[in-house]
Amino acid sequence: MSSEGLAIPMTAKAAGYPWALWRAQLLTILRLELKRNFFKLRGFWIYLLAFAPAVIIGAHAATSRGRCTLEEDTTILAGIFEVFYLRLGIFFGCMGIFTRLFRGEVIEKSLHYYFLAPVRRELLVVGKFLAGVIAAIFFFGSGVTLSFIFMNGHFGAAGRQYVFGGPGLGQLGSYLLVTVLACIGYGSLFLLMGLLFKNPVVPAVIILLWESINNVLPAMLKKLSIIFYLLPLCPVEVPAEGLAALFTVAADPVPVYLAIPGLLCVSGLSLYYAARKIRTMEISYGTD
Amino acid sequence: MAVYKRTYKPYSGELTANWTRFAILPRYSLATLFDSKILIGLLLVSLLPFLVAATIIYLTNNPVARTLIGLRGESILSIDNRFFFQLLKIQGSLAFLITAWIGPGLVSPDLTNNALPLYLCRPFSRVEYVLGKLSVLVLLLSLVTWIPDLLLYGLQAELEGNSWFTKNLSIAGAIVLGSLLWITVQSLLALALSAWVKWRIAASGLMFAIFFVAAGFGEAFNQVLRTYWGHTINLVYLINEVWADLFGVPTAVSFSRRIGDPRSLSVPVGIAWAILLGVCGLCLLLLNRRLTAREVVR
Amino acid sequence: MAYRADELIVFENVSKFYGDVLGVNRVSLTIGPGVTSLVGPNGSGKTTLMNLMTGLIWPTKGAVRVLGLTAHDPERFFRLVGYCTQFDSFARGLTGREFVYDTLRLHGMTHKEAVERTAESLERVNMTEAADRKVAAYSKGMRQRVRLAQSISHHPRVLVLDEPLNGLDPMARAESMALFSTLGKEGMHVIISSHILHEVDRISDQVILLNSGYVVAEGQIQGVRDEVKEHPMQIMVRCSLPGLMAAKLFAQDHIMEAKLHADGRGMLIRTRDAGRFYTQLHEIVLEGDIELEAVAPADDDVNSVYQYLIGSEGATV
Repeated sequence: MSSEGLAIPMTAKAAGYPWALWRAQLLTILRLELKRNFFKLRGFWIYLLAFAPAVIIGAHAATSRGRCTLEEDTTILAGIFEVFYLRLGIFFGCMGIFTRLFRGEVIEKSLHYYFLAPVRRELLVVGKFLAGVIAAIFFFGSGVTLSFIFMNGHFGAAGRQYVFGGPGLGQLGSYLLVTVLACIGYGSLFLLMGLLFKNPVVPAVIILLWESINNVLPAMLKKLSIIFYLLPLCPVEVPAEGLAALFTVAADPVPVYLAIPGLLCVSGLSLYYAARKIRTMEISYGTD
Repeated sequence: MAVYKRTYKPYSGELTANWTRFAILPRYSLATLFDSKILIGLLLVSLLPFLVAATIIYLTNNPVARTLIGLRGESILSIDNRFFFQLLKIQGSLAFLITAWIGPGLVSPDLTNNALPLYLCRPFSRVEYVLGKLSVLVLLLSLVTWIPDLLLYGLQAELEGNSWFTKNLSIAGAIVLGSLLWITVQSLLALALSAWVKWRIAASGLMFAIFFVAAGFGEAFNQVLRTYWGHTINLVYLINEVWADLFGVPTAVSFSRRIGDPRSLSVPVGIAWAILLGVCGLCLLLLNRRLTAREVVR
Repeated sequence: MAYRADELIVFENVSKFYGDVLGVNRVSLTIGPGVTSLVGPNGSGKTTLMNLMTGLIWPTKGAVRVLGLTAHDPERFFRLVGYCTQFDSFARGLTGREFVYDTLRLHGMTHKEAVERTAESLERVNMTEAADRKVAAYSKGMRQRVRLAQSISHHPRVLVLDEPLNGLDPMARAESMALFSTLGKEGMHVIISSHILHEVDRISDQVILLNSGYVVAEGQIQGVRDEVKEHPMQIMVRCSLPGLMAAKLFAQDHIMEAKLHADGRGMLIRTRDAGRFYTQLHEIVLEGDIELEAVAPADDDVNSVYQYLIGSEGATV
């Protein structure tokens, strides 16, 4: 075996152009992360979070037999999306997926293998983030789509007319857009928390409680949450009920042309800070 | 080695009683836990409801004190079963935060660092191990639930008079039984999750997820299927039903429910009990499966 | 022999503190090609030094350069450096083959190249048969060997090995030491830390002794031994007339002790001046017509140097 330290044979393109090398390494990181962490039996809790609503909506579709109206079901679907998917499912799903990307590797004492590879650490952050986003969007996007299909499908021709001839497709597009933005927004936040905190659950719970009380916060404080920018993008408004309605504070929603770039900017900043943080990170696997 | 040279002799002195051995675990666990500033903070915050309630009880029974602070009228509140029910609800939430903070760290580090065989290779059983870990949570959660509540009960009885004590013994029973049930459910759940995921942070997250997500999913279930059985996976709802029954308090009626809407009905209290006890049983089964001194890799 | 800067591993006044705890302090070292042993008791700073060398931790003060590069340039640095750490842990669910293969793909290798090199490195450490089993089912020695395979799979120029013989049976240890020796002779920088001093001694070209975060001694073993003046050299001599030789040697002022062996054919000499001893030995042998069978230093090894400079703590003889 030669030990002269000759350049490792690579594809001709990668040897000359770093972009090609980075692409190859990025794809490798994506493949590794998706293979190791996702689409495994031990990740069944993500499937539960993503598809459980679709299952019960499917059960409802199979058993309702004209006991409900399209309008009622549309509002219920909107409520499930805003309350369950946005505030709980995607939140906890992203928390589990993204905090695991780095903090999980530190716990398992396997992060040093990445640090000892000829991969820029910033590229590692990007690769792991993309893997997490792909997985989160796949699961929750599929769950939302299935829920939508089941909820509208059992109305037969009326349902089809609503979807293809009415606002249905637009609503589905909005739900998917919000899902994608939520995964990106929460994902970047939790990835950063996984790098900054030994126990990212503590700040995550604080954020959860903060987002939960967003309705009743003053207008100024409302703006300091991801949910405030996502809710206006939802296609169907869900009115607050009961006591919650009494305490809800109305605030001017952020326009779409500001909300989407704003969210993407915040995510970009989170990733930038994560990339800066990882450059100086040291491997120190203390006991948990 | 010649027999006469063998100077080693096993220990032949006095042994502690077998049933006290499990107490080694809480002794060391508590010493470690109280290094956590967050736990100290949570315990202090958990004392606040007790202090506020004690103040209310005192003012309610002391017209002079009420006058001195400028409160007019008969009394602030009626110190009855509703009062203790609401107090227990608040303390129950704080107890949950304490459990979610310390519970996951009790078992998972032992599994992650392969410390379990070190316990089990000694005359120390898995039952004693679980009892030891459980006692940490039971002790701390008791300090923020039924113990201060019984003190408040005693205070009210003292200020109100002896007849109050005997007339309201059911409240004391409800406090103890309700608290112990909630402590048991939370503690076993925390230990089971801690043993299952082996990662303290994941177990913490799972604790919160189980409570919040289950509640949300249960509500979604009810809305979609126009029923009330979704509440059966909402542990907070179930324990509230049990407490309401123990304290003899009617459950709150939602403002928005329509008459005849099945979503406004409550889960029968017997079912609530059965589910809570079932959760405890499930947790014990999980602990039985996970807490072994060996690991088989296929 | 003079080496260029891009052929050396250089520590320039490096210190590393973990809060108030000292890792290493004011370490200045130059390590050339060949096999270098890092020797010291537990907590002396061996792993800290290796982690500093490979960028897993950053120095509090000073700078580390490996073949002219730093770990801040990982794309070039880690093509040249391989590190088999002390961490006996792996990502979940991997087989031995996947573990090595995945690392090579991170280097930018094609699938075909990665497969070939994976097979080659696994063969090198005798792990081909077990390669397709899950790492979680491996014994400690197998896990050690698969980590070794991973660290050599990309043909690095610098190989850092933190206690690579841990968990290996004697046969596997001998094979590993032979491998390290071969790599050292081919011009690779092989840095090994180990507590099994007599094995490390056989293949090491130079030694670095550490104690409590400081470099106590460094260089070739014989050179280090020569400088330990307060401990006289011990030399084993086997000859036909040890008694006569001892009597003649005692006339010399640099001889401190001569211990006769029970078999009557050998003795252990302690001398303050080994050079003079060897010169006078010839004269004594010729004058006394003594048959000389063997002459060998008895403490010219890592273990002895360790004992003299650091003490008996932490060594496995």
